[in-house]
Amino acid sequence: MRLFLRNATLHLVLALLIGLGLGLAYSWLIAPVTYVDANPAILRADFKDQYRNVIAASYAASHDLARARARINLLSDTDPVGELSAQAQRMLSAGEPFARVQSLAQLATDLQQGFVTILIPGTPFIAVINTPTLETPFNAQETLITPSEFIELTFAPTSSFEQTPFAPQSIFTPTPRPTYTLIPPQGAPFSLVAQEPVCDPNLLPGLLQITLLDERRRQVSGIEIIVTWAAGDDRFFTGFKPELGNGYADFVMQADTIYSVRVERGGSLVPNISAPTCTDPNGVNYIGGLLLTFQQT
Amino acid sequence: MTSSTWFKILIALTLGITAGVIYGWVIDPIEYTDITPNLLRDDFRADYVLMVAEANQMEQDSETAARRLAILGSDSPVQIVTSTLDFAIKNNFTQNDVLLLQGLLTAMQTYQPQAINGP
Repeated sequence: MRLFLRNATLHLVLALLIGLGLGLAYSWLIAPVTYVDANPAILRADFKDQYRNVIAASYAASHDLARARARINLLSDTDPVGELSAQAQRMLSAGEPFARVQSLAQLATDLQQGFVTILIPGTPFIAVINTPTLETPFNAQETLITPSEFIELTFAPTSSFEQTPFAPQSIFTPTPRPTYTLIPPQGAPFSLVAQEPVCDPNLLPGLLQITLLDERRRQVSGIEIIVTWAAGDDRFFTGFKPELGNGYADFVMQADTIYSVRVERGGSLVPNISAPTCTDPNGVNYIGGLLLTFQQT
Repeated sequence: MTSSTWFKILIALTLGITAGVIYGWVIDPIEYTDITPNLLRDDFRADYVLMVAEANQMEQDSETAARRLAILGSDSPVQIVTSTLDFAIKNNFTQNDVLLLQGLLTAMQTYQPQAINGP
């Protein structure tokens, strides 16, 4: 102890360590760096959901896919389309109205396919197809939004300011003018064109996969499908899993239950749908799935 | 101990504190995650408000727009949009964007929150 008290070097080292500890305590605990100028990538998960909602709502109004993509990329999601789809499904599960979820699903679909699909309620689908090379590339490393970027991304439609109030609203994408393609005529009913059992043990048992096609055999998103059975019913929409196709939707059937399937938009009822029994190479039975394909006629 | 020794100890203590503060503030500061939107950088805030304006142009729903703006902090929607409009003008946003923000500002100025009915 005496040696310690007399050893000046030890005193200095000890003082240095104590000072270091005090300094760290001050800088980490008492007065940590105040965080300002944050970017959306580090938002809390619920605020990220809100941010995506607003991006999708904005996109539904502007149909500016390049700008929406740039904004989505600010969130630094590893799979932006998957995140949008997952959020849409979470919202549907939470009982949110479809109208509120639709913009998310539409943005996910459009990001997936790379062109703008405009869904105007009560009118036919209109697809505005851009050649991919026209799209403004987004640099994932760039997070600073500068005014010049805004200028570059000013593809927001101005038609609403230029049109007369009584003219039917049309929506434009950046010049050069896009090709307008009418997808399905409104009200054209969907008919069942194929019903195939799917025996794949890697899929969920009883998975009912549904694909909706228009007259030109292109997949159609945003269509409600109603599945009913003796004990209840379920409603869901195509397009919430764009990675599997814009006209894709699925539902898990229980064994020994008979279902009826109807496509909401003028479709006829398809009765007596049930999960098939499949046999694997070892002779073991398992519950298979079913693939229904509907097409507008 | 002599006063000279005490002086050296004081110097060492000061050096330690300085090193600790530099380490904690500069070299390895606390990293924040899960932040709230009121901490967003000005341009991101402005872009968020612009998105709300774009959506509001189609939806014409002041209630929803005000709710969306509310996550940006305790300022009133009018204050938030006004400061964004200033930012947009100073930073040469396009005329279309400025018009959208002005439209949102008008909507927020005329917006009156619905009263909550008590029991």
